Amino acid sequence: MKSRWNWACALSTVAMLAVTGSSQSSETRGATFTKAGELMLPKGYRKWMFIGASITPNGLNSGSAPFPEFHSVYVELDNFRSYQKNGKFPEGTVMVKELSLVQPGKHPDGSLDSASGRGYFPGSLNGLDVMVKDSARFSKTNNWGFFTFGHHAQPYNATAKESSTTECASCHIANVAKTDMVWVRYYPLLSVQID
Amino acid sequence: MGRARLRGKYVYPGIALAAIGLAAALVIGLPDRPALAQSQQSSAVFLPDGKLKLPTGFRNWVFVGGPLTPNGLNGGKANFPEFHNVYVEARNLDAYKKTGSFPEGTLIVKELTLVLKPTFPDGSRTEPSGRGFFNGAFNGIDATVKDTKRFAKTNGWGFVTFGHHALPYAASAAESSVSECAGCHMANVAKTDMTWVQFYPLLRDK
Repeated sequence: MKSRWNWACALSTVAMLAVTGSSQSSETRGATFTKAGELMLPKGYRKWMFIGASITPNGLNSGSAPFPEFHSVYVELDNFRSYQKNGKFPEGTVMVKELSLVQPGKHPDGSLDSASGRGYFPGSLNGLDVMVKDSARFSKTNNWGFFTFGHHAQPYNATAKESSTTECASCHIANVAKTDMVWVRYYPLLSVQID
Repeated sequence: MGRARLRGKYVYPGIALAAIGLAAALVIGLPDRPALAQSQQSSAVFLPDGKLKLPTGFRNWVFVGGPLTPNGLNGGKANFPEFHNVYVEARNLDAYKKTGSFPEGTLIVKELTLVLKPTFPDGSRTEPSGRGFFNGAFNGIDATVKDTKRFAKTNGWGFVTFGHHALPYAASAAESSVSECAGCHMANVAKTDMTWVQFYPLLRDK
């Protein structure tokens, strides 16, 4: 009986430790800023909700696309649900866009022939851009701050300072101010009411 | 009786405590414990007629990659038109990364979307971020399930399509023929558990 009690307690402890451990190591929620005001590189975002991926291949952009090349966009599930319901993102929302290059193909447009057809297939990861909704901190740019952790292979930069208005915010302000600064038209999940 | 009372006094609270711990662990999820993950129920639901039920909730699983085969680069009619967004559950992804094979019961979902309003012959258009391809309307679902008993003839995986067309998709679907799906997977990716890991950074990259 004593051994069963011990076994039960040990099992319980292991289970609780596993829960604590996994929640600490795998994910951060929301935005974390350093004392200097720089944004820390988000973690765990690849397990957030994926809402869509555009692709602007270098081969169709004179060899050097502004965002090379796939843009995979992630948002936390509760913030996504809130947008579906209210048409705007809650304060504190973080959106992450991870870039990946295409696998090199023989065609001049950069496309590749594969078993499933001619097209573009994700190659190596190539950078991370982030936007954060914080109406106090980023009131000058429609409540969102824009950051880049580099357009290059991993590792990405550990922190990033806010990008200048001309680099990011101005284009969002000019084109998508009415949809909470997000290019909703490229992300069908944001406009179709499905699970 | 005396023994039963003792059991009630000492053993049951212990088991109850363990149960609470385990329940908490299962509710929150244990991505780093594949042995437990494997014992969890599969998200694949087969109906009495053997058809696979249309998966739900997969859009908030882990996205592992999205190749693009535009109609405009495939004689106007790609086999999989056009973006292929692939989703797998976190516990199965974690197990694959550790062991190189997916747990029994793994369900992988590929959702297709058309490209947004093409203006060039290849299907691309120009947007402020450059010339390229952007997700348009949803256009179909394919799914594959690892069930080594049910699909022993096709390397342990069954392949099912719920239609390549706009929403709504078919509510359930029968296994596709070997020549439609499994044949190509067996010929090309049998060594990577029937999955095109080379096209999905999260499966491919360590």
